[in-house]
Amino acid sequence: MNEINNLKKDLHSRAPKSEKMQDVLAYKDEALLKSKIKVTIDSIEFEVPYGTTILAAARMIGIKIPTLCYHDDLCISGVCRICVVEVDGQRILHASCSYPITSPIVVRTHTKKIRQARRHILDLMLSEHAGECYSCCRNGHCELQILAQEYGIDFYRFGHEPKTVFGRDDSGYSIVRDMDKCILCRRCIRACIDLQEVGVYHVLNRGKETFIGTFMNQPMSDVVCINCGQCINHCPTGALHSKDFSEDVWAAIDDPFKHVVIQTAPAPRAAIGECFGLKPGQPLTFELNTAIKHCGFDKVFDTNFAADLTIIEEGTELIQRLYAALVKKEPVYLPQFTSCSPGWIKYIEHFNPEMLNHVSSAKSPQQMFGAVIKTYYAKLHNIDPFDIVTVALMPCTAKKYECNRPEFISSGYKDVDYVLTTREMAQMIKEVGVNLPEMPKSDFDDPFGTATGSGVIFGATGGVMESAIRTVYELVTGEKIENLFDHMQIKPVRGFEGIKYAELTIENVGKVPDILKHIVSDWDWLKGVTLKVAVSHGTANAKRVLENIQSGGKLSECHFIEFMACPGGCLGGGGQPIPTNKKILEARTKAIYAEDENSEVRKSYENPAVVKLYKEFLEGGPCGHISHSLLHTSYTPRTKMMV
Amino acid sequence: MQVIYRQKIVEEIEELKNIYGDDRSSLLPILHAMQDKYQYIPDRILQSVAHALEIHPAEVEAVASFYSFFETREKLGKYVIRLCQTVTCDMKGKHKVARQLQNELGIKFGETTKDGMFSLRYTNCLGLCDQGPAMLVNDRLFAHVTPEKTQRIIEECHRDFIRSEFPRVVPSILRKTGSLLNAETTGAEGLKNALGKKPAEVIEEIRKSNLKGRGGAGFPTAFKWQLAAEDSSETKYVVCNADEGEPGTFKDRFLLYDRTDLILDGMTIGAYAIGASQGFIYLRIEYRYMQKYLEAALEKRRQQGLLGENIAGRKGFNFDIQIRMGAGAYVCGEETALIESLEGERGEPRNRPPFPVDTGFFGRPTIVNNVETFLGAALILTKGAQWFAEHGTDKSKGTKLYSISGDCEKPGIYEFAFGTSINELLIEVGGENAKAVQIGGASGLCISSVEFDRKLSFEDLSSGGSVIIFGPDRDMLQVAKNFSNFFIEESCGQCTPCRIGNIKIREGISLLEKGKCSSSYLKELVKLSDTMRLTSKCGLGQSSGNAFTTIMEGFREEILGKALNSTEGDIS
Repeated sequence: MNEINNLKKDLHSRAPKSEKMQDVLAYKDEALLKSKIKVTIDSIEFEVPYGTTILAAARMIGIKIPTLCYHDDLCISGVCRICVVEVDGQRILHASCSYPITSPIVVRTHTKKIRQARRHILDLMLSEHAGECYSCCRNGHCELQILAQEYGIDFYRFGHEPKTVFGRDDSGYSIVRDMDKCILCRRCIRACIDLQEVGVYHVLNRGKETFIGTFMNQPMSDVVCINCGQCINHCPTGALHSKDFSEDVWAAIDDPFKHVVIQTAPAPRAAIGECFGLKPGQPLTFELNTAIKHCGFDKVFDTNFAADLTIIEEGTELIQRLYAALVKKEPVYLPQFTSCSPGWIKYIEHFNPEMLNHVSSAKSPQQMFGAVIKTYYAKLHNIDPFDIVTVALMPCTAKKYECNRPEFISSGYKDVDYVLTTREMAQMIKEVGVNLPEMPKSDFDDPFGTATGSGVIFGATGGVMESAIRTVYELVTGEKIENLFDHMQIKPVRGFEGIKYAELTIENVGKVPDILKHIVSDWDWLKGVTLKVAVSHGTANAKRVLENIQSGGKLSECHFIEFMACPGGCLGGGGQPIPTNKKILEARTKAIYAEDENSEVRKSYENPAVVKLYKEFLEGGPCGHISHSLLHTSYTPRTKMMV
Repeated sequence: MQVIYRQKIVEEIEELKNIYGDDRSSLLPILHAMQDKYQYIPDRILQSVAHALEIHPAEVEAVASFYSFFETREKLGKYVIRLCQTVTCDMKGKHKVARQLQNELGIKFGETTKDGMFSLRYTNCLGLCDQGPAMLVNDRLFAHVTPEKTQRIIEECHRDFIRSEFPRVVPSILRKTGSLLNAETTGAEGLKNALGKKPAEVIEEIRKSNLKGRGGAGFPTAFKWQLAAEDSSETKYVVCNADEGEPGTFKDRFLLYDRTDLILDGMTIGAYAIGASQGFIYLRIEYRYMQKYLEAALEKRRQQGLLGENIAGRKGFNFDIQIRMGAGAYVCGEETALIESLEGERGEPRNRPPFPVDTGFFGRPTIVNNVETFLGAALILTKGAQWFAEHGTDKSKGTKLYSISGDCEKPGIYEFAFGTSINELLIEVGGENAKAVQIGGASGLCISSVEFDRKLSFEDLSSGGSVIIFGPDRDMLQVAKNFSNFFIEESCGQCTPCRIGNIKIREGISLLEKGKCSSSYLKELVKLSDTMRLTSKCGLGQSSGNAFTTIMEGFREEILGKALNSTEGDIS
């Protein structure tokens, strides 16, 4: 396991700045790092571990220091200077976010000097911040706006630039850049490089001419971007936001000839409450169903149905690959990679197109569902798929790009017409005057009904793997997974570790269930086999996993690897409520696992609607010919070359 | 039309990686080499360099766009003419030269002639402030440029400088020497003395001399070395800061040429004292004409056994020095920005603490010292701490080199003992009628005549040696404007107070010029420059409002009185 833990160090020679600093600490004296240092902040005296920043220390005792360029998820930058404090004996003020406490110090956080300095810094930022708050998507939850209010700013001391310089770039399907609102905090850069290793943005020029740009100023439609939206989630202002299709959705709802259905993914319901003032971790699944109907949607379905379907298809594909490798001894691409995360798909298409054969051909749940709605559901209800508008509520901005991929037209029409993020859905609900937490509960619509707990946990990192293990293990062994893992909690694949690794040995095998009889005749070949799986989230970790596989490392022995583009999985998606940080992610994750525990059915293959679908519609079973045309896809090798 | 083949670039970059290493610190040398070859660094090269170094193309563009000598958008001319626009050249008639250059070439600054022969650029401080206006044509330096001379220089470009009437090297003007410059030494005496002592004893000798950093900050050298020496890391670095970019400073240019061996001795002594085996000279690109000369000096030392393994016969003491070129960024004179630049990043200062002495180049202990500091160290180990400390004041021991320019009869390099007053200095240089003296360059203080009894020393007027004299007819608002323009361009742009604060000050100066600035707004701007001093990330940002504040204080009446009828124009 050490190899997995050391992956970051070994394989990532080009460490981001934050890791460079950790690296430096690594060769310092261990005793020193463990020692405690006395600190006095605003005359409160206490001890902190060596190297704690002033900001972190102040937070320990409940003192709020304003921040802008600082973000819990990202490496320290120290460029906005709003968090300055006075350290006794120093002639200048220091940025508290970047000042490590290595000797006893006395700190003051709100003297006259500091107040004036912070005010000036805000005045300076506002003087360059074009645009008005009313017409900004971040109105009401913009960090700059909130600070301006807290610091009593009621006029533009150093003027205000009404002219826009950069204009808006909405050329892509997912991310809109409005750089006139940028305060150059560089969080987007750090998110895109440190968390995602995509590197869309960087600071260009210097001095007065400094701005955040893309490579050679290319528009978002042309740059190598995976559309994950982590830049949006980490932006303090309205400079970055997702492309909003709610106007189109309203138009469809208002069109009497259109049958508008929506599927809702598990992650949004765990987080949407935050947009209505709830604390993170309070799921509003059934309230949301009512509110969505109130908005005028005709039907509301649970994406988890398609998640269960994905598990069957992807699991079957895995069994096929394993069978080919272990029994037929054919050359086959293992480990198999998951394909649910469109950000991850775009990542591997760009950066490792030579490994695309590892990716499961199963469509993502969103696209599977879209295809099923416009074929099976359309047939069932006798509606022309032309008149069906499928909307997907997703935690994700990459899904917006995904639904527009040209290959996703199983019915002849787009599988999914529009994708709304959690934030945009909350906006629509607010627009119809509904306070979501007060809504009565209502169920999902038939024929897809309420799905399983396996589908729900797709929202968390490790969720797909856990669901797959539950289903594959039981189908193969005929034994209950509960016997192996208490309460079905497969803990080795849970948690926020960047790369997780687990092994599961199949001791005994059972009978091949009917649904898989067209694939294999018996399971004997799996007896005694140790299944090796890994889970990674955040594409920076994906990069490390791929490098390890290519260099023949431990992970190349894996059979199945789950990849999620966003840190924390879908719960930390680019379309989720802002702010997102580790603490909030933890709360959302807890909510999702609780929902799993409360589900009646918790294994994908037991989902009655899925069973019915295979019986009534998907002739040929999992990975059969119909499922192949509707539920599977192929990928496009791309390149990281932009010119 | 030059066609750039991807495969060819990739191969060239691989070769460069073999020379400079495959880590990120080779980025600047590779970009330099590519720009030399292709006359600019187009998108395709940026991308290939990025992929070769396993970083993102946007990161490479970020670095390339940071430095003013890299060009990413259009091919530069065969000859790039860079005219110095800093204050002293401005005072000596830069505007006329600029106008004539545009007339001769038919292009504006920032443009390239259609035939691809000439590009015209402004640049900040070429280190020839006493002989301005100064101009750089590729890596040829020209002093005392006049409108008439520009035409001759352009003609010579057409002849590729064959049988040029201009000297290849512009000599420095040395006006006054003192104990530092008069000291006679024989072959690496100081270094050999040092190697006869224990590292701790070397540091002790430096401590006794009370040598403080000559770059201007005045940090005790012995203390810096000791902190680095005490660190347990096995890898340590010595860096010579030869990024002499402060407007009005040109003494390092002289020292690097004329006291080369003593400086290299000093670096080697430093390496011995702290236990480093690798050194860098970070040489500003404006001094590129010195690169070959310094390379040769290093090579000679290697042959003499003064660099390399077992230096001067001392077993186990290995040390070598590489020259790394800057690429046109004033802020890289700040030590942490310099280290970032060495690492192949944008030259943006780091947060302090941690300090370079424990977290420097690639996170390892690094001492960064000024050229003159290394000279001092070498001489202290030659002549002894006692000898060094004979001159100066209680807190400022020794003598210091000053680069004196502006309105005086005898501009040039002077060696003064610490404690010399401005009045004394002005008499020496023939600038008695001055109305103001700028000490410390653009980031320094503007002293008006009522304060001319103040003394050059760490405890009073500390500086890296830049002294710019303003005669009685100078328009001080224009002086402030020049400095302000300088900072708007040269701020690294990362922190809010320096990046936007300087813009606001510049806008305020425009209001003053038009007579539209209220006293209360002026007061607010002075307060703002105080905020910049308190909150900027680095020393340069912190001092970027100094000139404005001191000029507004010292010449308030001149500026407010002039406001209504002043027009935009030259300082001259």
